[in-house]
Order: sequence, then C-alpha cells, then structure tokens
Amino acid sequence: MERAGIPTALLCNLVTIAERVGAPRIVRTRGIPYPTGDPSLDAEGEKQWRRQLVECALEALQTEVHEPTVFEVGQGRTSTSSAAAPSEVTHA
Amino acid sequence: MPPGRECKYGPVALTRLVHTVREVGFGERTRFDEGVLTVSADEARSVLADDALASVELSWASPGQSVRIVKVLDAVEPRTKGPGGGGIFPGFVGPARPQGRGETHVLRGAAVVTAGYLPRAQEALVDLSGPAAALSPLGATHNLVIEFTPAPGAAWEQVDNALRRGALRLATALAEAALDAAPDDVEELASPSPGARGGDLPRIGVVTNLQTQGSFKDVFVYGRSFGAALPTLLDPGELDDGAVVSGQYGHPALKNPTFMHQNHPVVAELRRRHGRDLEFAGVVICPEPVEQGAKEMISLFAAKVCAAAGFDAAILTKEGGGNADADVALKMDALFDLGIQPVGLYAEMAGADGTGPSVVVAPERATAMVSTGNYDHRLQLPEMDKAYGGERLELVKVPATASFEVPTAVVYCALSPLGWGRIAARAG
Amino acid sequence: MARIVHYVNQFFAGVGGEDQAGAGPVLRDGPVGPGARLAELVAPEHEIVATVWCGDDVAPGKVDEIVALVRSAEPDLVVAGPAFTSGRYGLACARVVAAADQAGLAGVASMHEDNPGLDEAGAVPVVASGEVARRMAPSLDRLAAGIRRLLAGETLTADDGRIGKLARLTVVTETTAATRSVDLALVRLGGDGAATEIPLPRFDRVTPAAPVADASAVTLALVTEGGLVAGDNPDGLESARATKWLRYPLEGRDALASGDYMSVHGGYSTVWANEDPHRILPLDAARELEAEGAIGGLLGEYFVTTGNGTSVANARRFGIEWAGDLRNSGARAAILTAT
Repeated sequence: MERAGIPTALLCNLVTIAERVGAPRIVRTRGIPYPTGDPSLDAEGEKQWRRQLVECALEALQTEVHEPTVFEVGQGRTSTSSAAAPSEVTHA
Repeated sequence: MPPGRECKYGPVALTRLVHTVREVGFGERTRFDEGVLTVSADEARSVLADDALASVELSWASPGQSVRIVKVLDAVEPRTKGPGGGGIFPGFVGPARPQGRGETHVLRGAAVVTAGYLPRAQEALVDLSGPAAALSPLGATHNLVIEFTPAPGAAWEQVDNALRRGALRLATALAEAALDAAPDDVEELASPSPGARGGDLPRIGVVTNLQTQGSFKDVFVYGRSFGAALPTLLDPGELDDGAVVSGQYGHPALKNPTFMHQNHPVVAELRRRHGRDLEFAGVVICPEPVEQGAKEMISLFAAKVCAAAGFDAAILTKEGGGNADADVALKMDALFDLGIQPVGLYAEMAGADGTGPSVVVAPERATAMVSTGNYDHRLQLPEMDKAYGGERLELVKVPATASFEVPTAVVYCALSPLGWGRIAARAG
Repeated sequence: MARIVHYVNQFFAGVGGEDQAGAGPVLRDGPVGPGARLAELVAPEHEIVATVWCGDDVAPGKVDEIVALVRSAEPDLVVAGPAFTSGRYGLACARVVAAADQAGLAGVASMHEDNPGLDEAGAVPVVASGEVARRMAPSLDRLAAGIRRLLAGETLTADDGRIGKLARLTVVTETTAATRSVDLALVRLGGDGAATEIPLPRFDRVTPAAPVADASAVTLALVTEGGLVAGDNPDGLESARATKWLRYPLEGRDALASGDYMSVHGGYSTVWANEDPHRILPLDAARELEAEGAIGGLLGEYFVTTGNGTSVANARRFGIEWAGDLRNSGARAAILTAT
C-alpha cells in the first residue's frame, strides 16, 4: 500500500518483525489479540488508550520516513530500524 | 614462552593408530585380522545387555549392498586407547577425565549404528547403494546395525541411555580387537597452542554449537549434558577420544552423530593445513540455548573465548534447523564486532524449486556463509532388498525397502553442518 | 527464428485506462504497443508472433486463461512487461511467466526491482526495467538483450540486469564444505569483504509513501488482518491461510456492537476481540477524531482478511488490491491493525 502511495500506519505488537519486513510506519500496541485495546484497563481507560493509539497513527501518517520507523504513544517517533536492508543484492 | 618455564599442558600431541576395515562378518569370537573384522554376536549382545532392552538384533550393512537403514539414531566409530578402553569415551565408558593425548586406536571404515524408534526422533535414512549412498558418511562404512526392542515398562529415556552406553561400549570392544594388530597408518596430530593474533600465518579456529534441548535432543560432553555450560575451549584430541557424544535425533540431514564429532571435518581440515597456510587456533564448543537472551549471552561469551585464544578467523558449525541458524548468526556478528573474521556453515531451506528464502536467520553485519546444500532438494530413491531399523518409513507411509521420493533433508548427515559433505546450492 | 508471444496490460495494449482494467484477456496478432519497438530490437533472429493483453484488475486471477492464449500461438518464449512499478501489472507478468514455466514454456518478465510482483516469478528470470513508463526505451533495450541471451541458451545474471529471486540449485562440489569454509576464511582475511557462497537474504525494500500533509483534509481507511467479520461470517473468511479478503460497511456507524461482529482468526485468542470489536478495528476512536476535525473523513467500509499463515503471495496480492481499491475510492491514508 505504501508503494502505491497510500501511507499506512501499521499497529502491531511484534515490532521487530515489522521492521524486518520493511513496514515504514509502525505503531507499537500492547498485545497481539487486541491491537487497539488493553483489557487490563477499565472501559474508560481502554477507550482513552485506543484514542491515543489512533492519534499516534495519525502522527505517523503525517511524518516523512525513509526506512522502518517505530512510533510510540506519548513519545512520537522513537527509533529507526538499526537492521538496515542491504543496499544491493549479492548474487553468488 | 620465557625460557625455563614449561607449560604443563604444552603442545599436546595425539597419535592415531589407524586400522582399515576392509571386510566384515560374524563369527565365534570378535577379532580383527588383516583388515577383516569379525564380530561375535553373543559377545556383542552381552555388551549391549541392559534392563531397559528386552532384546537386540545385530546386522552388518556394507557399502554397495542393496540395503537401507531407517530410523537411524547415533553412529560411533570404533576406537580405544587400550585394554578396557583406556579412557576412551570419558564419562560413559572411561572415567570422566580429560583425554586427547597419547595413543588412540581407530577402526576406520566401520561404524556401530543404532536404529529404531525413539520419541522426538525424526526418521533418518542411509542407503548403502544408489544415489543417496554418497550423501551420507555411513554409505561408505561397514555398519554394525543395532536394532532393539524396549523392555516392557522401560521409560524411553532409559532405553535411550541403554542404547548409548551399549553402542559406545561395543565400539570400544571392537577397537580392542585391533590392539595387537600393526596399524595401517600412524597419524601424529598437532594441537593448537596459544598464540597472538596477527602473526605470520593467520590463526583460524572452529566454533561448534551443540544442540542442547533435553531428552532425545541433547549432546553430552564428558558424560554430562552441555545444556548449562558456557563456551569452552577444547583440545581437538578430546573430540578424537569421544568426549563429545551425541544424544540428538532430530533433523536427519543436519545431524552431527558421535562418529562425526570423532572425525570433525573442519578440525581435520585445519589440522591438515596447520603450518602451511594457517595456524590451527583451537576448538570452542557451545550449547545452543532455546531462548533469545541466553543465545545472545552464549554468543558474546563465545566470541570472547575466541578472542582470548587468539583467533583471527572462526569457522562456525551448528546443529539443527532454523533455531540453530540463530545461534550461528549471533556468533558471527559477535565475532565480527571483535574484529575476528567469521565464516558460517549453513544449510539452505530454499524449497523444492530453490527459490525460497534460503537462510532462516542470517547474520546482520557478517556476511561470509558456506552452503552445505538445499534441504528441500528432492531425491528419487530406488527399491532395496533389505532394510534395518524399521518395517516402514512413516514419513512417506511405505515399506522401508520401497522406492520413493524424499527431500535431501531425510538422508543422514547429507547437509552435514560440520562440513563433511560435497553438495552445495548455487545461484541458477 | 524464435517465436515470441508478448504479454501486456490493457493500457500498453492501447485499449484503455482504468476503465478497461476489467477487460480481457485477448489474443492479437503480432506486436502491439511497446511490442513494436521490442520486435525491432530482437529482429531479424526472433519474431513477436502474437500479443496477449489483459486488464490489470482481472489478470492476476485469470493466469490460466492468459497462458492458454499465449500457448495457442505456439511460442518458444513468452515475454511479459515491462511493468515498471505498476503493482497489479507486475503481479500479472510474474504469474504469467511462472505459470508458463510450469507448463514447460520458457519466459522472461520485465519490471522495476521495487515492483511487488517481483517475487512471484518463481525461478523464471526477471530483468530490471526503469521506474516509470518514460523509461520505456532503455527498459526495452535491456529486455531485448536478455531475450537474445536466453534464446541463445544462456542463463541471465545480475550483469544482464536480472533481479529478484535466483533459484538455488543443488550442485556437487569437488571439495567438502569444511575445506571451502577454511578457503573462504582465508579469502576474507586477505581483504575480500564480500566473498560468500550464500548471498544475504533480500529484504523487501519499500520506498515509503509521502506523508499526508494534513490529516484533517484526508479520507482515512481502516483495514485489518485481524479476521473481524460481520455477523456469523457469511462470506466464509478462512481462519488460516486466507485466500481472500472482504469488505464490510461502516457508513453511518459510530461503533461496532459486540454481538454484530466476530473474529474468525485462528492465530490468536479471539475472546477479547469478540467482547469488543474495537480492539481490532478502532472505529469509535476514529469517529471521535473525525467529529473533532482531526481526520477529514472515514472510508465508508473496512477491509479485512486473516493474517494467519497467509502465503506471502496472497498477502502481497491483498495489499496490491487494497491499494488499488483505496486509490479508486479517494482514501489517501490507512490504519492497518495487525494481530
């Protein structure tokens, strides 16, 4: 989708995998079974968390990135991937 | 070394007295004459006797025969250091004391092989003729195959222990038959000595990872599981004398049986070239933890040991599939970061047409990798007259003697992570 | 003289644009569109005897039909593209040559190295094209050179502009892996910093899309691989190894009622998702932000698939199709929730 020019914020928990496969805009969630949730909070707290996630996603969508970049709620952009993709293909 | 001071464990030398086995058979007494190894089935059975085994069956499977061995477990090369073992296979046959010096008798061209069902074991096969024969070291040895029936009520772990001790004792007994024979070859082996990096000849060592995942997936050093150990510098002679014993039965093509540790291919290569284009810097063995944090610790520690031993470069070998790749990758990067050149031996899992992602976990900064072949490459195997180890190959649900197609992954040691093999994958 | 059949999409066939993306496949005599120039470049030794074109939207799903048409012209080689960075076209090209290969027909495709279809060509060679159609001339030059070498029985390599997966073929070596590993260590110690028998795995390099200038002016799409479907899964979304994706309406809804949706995903415990579907698709929060003006608008439907053991090929196809759909719909950004 990013290749087609549609900036996409990926909300996921396994951030290192997302970085590895090259997703450019990554927002860290709290759990695999509830990407935009947090059952450890009460209903109101969970809605607040969800809103913060979506706001963080909007920020990621409005940020220019050049490589896999992780965004954390409340901190904004926190890192760029250190596992940079090789700059050229080596054919043995 | 300052004059007047002699290192107590100074350059250790081991002498291998090699007896070549040309012909095998069964007879009244176990003996070795002029290359002919005769085994007394009764004597062998009493060596193998254990409460956990109801019965054992012994057969010879020799190169060129129309024979297949299925459900292959471990393989051991007959060796001894003297009557009663003389210290061989320390921790199992001999007492657990450092070995690797003095004389060791070898029956080359023979192997004691256990075959049959054990839990968590993945079905491995060896063909003594046909296209798969050249893909396994056991395709070229006279194999004394031990089939077994567990005793009723025996726990599988006890069966496994019984087989292991029995095979090692039998391997010792067979070699003892050659003690008085004049050896065909005498091999005097150098041992690595301490040295500083950056000398005239590059110092190259090997780092061998041992699978340590508990029952039926464990490797023993001096009789004990290596699971909780830290990376350790070994004298290669200790490998010769059976200090490392395999109790791991997964991933057939990626197996490092005891036989292969005794005849470690990378060690052999480094010994061969010691003093010519390199200095053999040493052997480091490491466990393969199952958890990421522990993998990282072991990898960093191993790199530290290599640096302390003065390695300029290290060859890395593994045991297992993708999980084991992670250990190699981490060590390669850790060594790279310390300025030691790493080379990783990797089997590739590129799919049947060779276009899948070939390496499961690759290093991030280091990049030198040697291919030991494609796991998924298909093989068409012919029908055989006889099979040992089981009636059926469950993998393809056919009689063990049938003709069938299997991936190279199923042939014992075909993708040898210790570098024994002569296959590789190349860009097509 | 080799017979070549050329595969192109509806646009390069001169049939039409997006309006014709659902048409075809159609077989035409001789070269069409860029095929004319390609035919000149491979003449006189080789000839483009026919062209098959198909609409981008339907081509990836009509590969068998396309290959049948290709083969009906009895070619020695099928050539697909250049597809540049056009995802649907690239995917179709890759699948056509891969399917032709399975049927015993040699082929070659041309596309940009960032084209998402690249990895679906199997073991068939793909030659790099330029990024955009303006680069047609040099792309055809390179493709023609590759065609000549292939028809001469040679293997294409990186020097020919070959990109994408190279099949790893098993060979018997003279020396053992142990010997080769020590040799490689010495080569590396000698200063060669690149020698290796196995190239590093190629990670997908994605050039990120430009950011949204102002979210308050943009239509945002909510999409998910969390397997959240309406009702009791009337359209049969698989719980693993999904072969499809679905869309469900969001028009006029501010919230997803718990009983109206369920997750069919087999890869995680769906208890929490079923309790509150917003844990998978954050509609309530999105509507709130829309009402406050932080988001220009929400797309009137959401897309869903199950991301559990999904084949890379299918996942790639879904992404390409979602992108195409969103571009047509006017949505200009997306939030994708993953489980």
